[in-house]
Amino acid sequence: MMDPKIQYRLRKAARQMLLYLVVLTITLVIMTPVYFITVLSFLTTREAYEYPLPLYPTFTIRMKMERGKRGYLLSVWDRNEQAYVSVLDTDDADKMRVYMETYLGLKPSNEQVTEVMQKVDATGGQPVYFAWRRHILSNYATFFRVTRDAVPALIRSLQIAALTIAISLSIGGAAGYAFARYRFYGKNALKFSVLFVRMFPGVAIAIPMVIILARIGLYDRPAGLSLLYSVGVIGMTVWITASIFMAIPVSLEEAAMVFGATRLQAFLRITLPLAFPGLAAAAMYAFIGAWNETVAAIILTEFNPTFSVVVYQTLLGATGQVNLTAAGGMAMALPAVVFTFFIRRYIHQMWGGVTV
Amino acid sequence: MAEVQLINLTKRFGRRVLAVDHIHLTVKDREFLVLLGPSGCGKTTTLRMIAGLEEVSEGTILIDGEDVTYLPPRARNVSMVFQNYAVWPHMTVYENIAYPLRLKKVPRDEIDRRVKEVAELTKIAELLDRYPSQLSGGQQQRVALARAIAVKPKVFLMDEPLSNLDAKLRVHMRTELKAIHHQTQATTIFVTHDQSEAMSMADRIVVMREGRIEQVGTPEEVYEKSANMFVASFIGLPPTNFFYTEVRRENDALKLVHPYFTLTLSPEQAARLKDYTKSRLVLGVRPENLLLTTEDQALFSVEAMVVEPQGSHQIIAFQMDDQIVKIVAPAYPKVWPGERIHVTFRPERIRFFDPETQQAVGDEA
Repeated sequence: MMDPKIQYRLRKAARQMLLYLVVLTITLVIMTPVYFITVLSFLTTREAYEYPLPLYPTFTIRMKMERGKRGYLLSVWDRNEQAYVSVLDTDDADKMRVYMETYLGLKPSNEQVTEVMQKVDATGGQPVYFAWRRHILSNYATFFRVTRDAVPALIRSLQIAALTIAISLSIGGAAGYAFARYRFYGKNALKFSVLFVRMFPGVAIAIPMVIILARIGLYDRPAGLSLLYSVGVIGMTVWITASIFMAIPVSLEEAAMVFGATRLQAFLRITLPLAFPGLAAAAMYAFIGAWNETVAAIILTEFNPTFSVVVYQTLLGATGQVNLTAAGGMAMALPAVVFTFFIRRYIHQMWGGVTV
Repeated sequence: MAEVQLINLTKRFGRRVLAVDHIHLTVKDREFLVLLGPSGCGKTTTLRMIAGLEEVSEGTILIDGEDVTYLPPRARNVSMVFQNYAVWPHMTVYENIAYPLRLKKVPRDEIDRRVKEVAELTKIAELLDRYPSQLSGGQQQRVALARAIAVKPKVFLMDEPLSNLDAKLRVHMRTELKAIHHQTQATTIFVTHDQSEAMSMADRIVVMREGRIEQVGTPEEVYEKSANMFVASFIGLPPTNFFYTEVRRENDALKLVHPYFTLTLSPEQAARLKDYTKSRLVLGVRPENLLLTTEDQALFSVEAMVVEPQGSHQIIAFQMDDQIVKIVAPAYPKVWPGERIHVTFRPERIRFFDPETQQAVGDEA
């Protein structure tokens, strides 16, 4: 017989272990894609198409050059094979440089390449081993270089996100306030119907929107896209702000009005500051909704794509390189992450940090 | 300070609900008036109409003779203490008190002086830098009170301000509120559903039911001379016991016959009831006016069902058919459940009600 006290403790420890295991698994499931896109965005093109995918990037490329059949034979250290793998046999220094640039993320000059070739000649055909460092952000630099549109598209995307926040928060917030404070006929039906539009896939809405936006002259313009995004986002904004306004007692506003404030003053000075966490959360939803949206943006833009469209386009065609797309994706995630961190404080508040 | 007059005041919600039904009421200058009634009787709606937070459907509100019926709340110069305190959570105690003054464009040094003064009065002087979330319910209540006092209003409106406090603090705050009222001498309208709160604080009580005023009077008046059966049962704890009796008129004598007893009224009581011609009459006897006595002097004898000792006194409940009657008796001699008790009435404290109209009858003019 085991001591019941020990038995109890063991059981408790086992339960705790199980809990940690579950939490760990969930975290792993969530973090795995994030981890892979991060690693992928730093890999060289050669590594990116290896199988299995390397778990971490290398920034020092070990190479070997010797005399080949056509000229000089370049071999690259392969982590999976644990050996040098021959990749290119040429006597054209420029061709070799382009290969290094495209597949290995290096940026040598023709002279540097020629220098190694001369060394091979000097040793009389003996292999020359050398290792070159590449820049950590080489993929990012390449991404912004090869996609001429990236920077203007980034600015456009920011404009669209800001405009979407402004539109959805002013309209949705006002509706949320009305839903929270006033009783009117058909309130519940209306409240449900604002969610209704979210049930349609974005493409289904985007196609008729092409015609509408073209008629009012907003096709291929940031304003047009943010209008479309607002339609979808407002549903969420209404629900978030309505619940936050509902949580603020009416008597706080009434007290302000009894004590000398106008209705507007009471709203601006009392309700709005208290609703700020909820509004921040709604703003975050709007931002992420507008920032990440791609499908409608592909349909509704032509010469002025958004950043998400530019990232998508790097996947297309013969020049598509997944590591560049990953770098673009990471570049795209960055503003969203920064924005979320910026308003994190207020969201914490909404999740029960501070009670009104 | 000010006098408040409600003339024909009415509030409808939609077509069907009549929350306040054509009431007339004058609140005297410096008076502490309590609106008392069960929930849904319209007392809070009345208060909110005076504050301007509820639109008036019909009728007029005068404050100091000035018609304020359609003025916004801020133009009425009233202040209000809410049931949930309604202190602003994002402002410190100091800002909570100062904000209304700032809205009224009081000079800065005057604001500072007044905030400190009312904080002293309400005993929150050391809490001025705190936020409401750091305060207890009682302290938040004091902040709400301080804020209301600081603006020096014509009328104080209080909407069940003590109902969120725990029992002990509630009784304590009654005394303090009363003391503050003595000091500020402000006309106060206080809403509550707690009759003992009303009794202990009011200069006058307005008993309301279903949007109508049932009785207006001092605490003694509504207690001793309840105008109808509703007031008699709503005021007082335990409530008035009612006995439904048959009236027998024999010569000049008036006898009230109840299945358990027959009561012969005194000549004066009979004289007061001489205009009453109906055959049934309700006797209203407050629990403390039911007396325990010896068997030979008893009006009737019953078996005690439940005894609730209260320290200073005991409450004895017994059953009469399907009715439960309660007696408030001295703590000693102690009565045990199941014991046979002998009961009589304190004859001069009996009240009579018409069972049809429920109104009191036979009062001295």
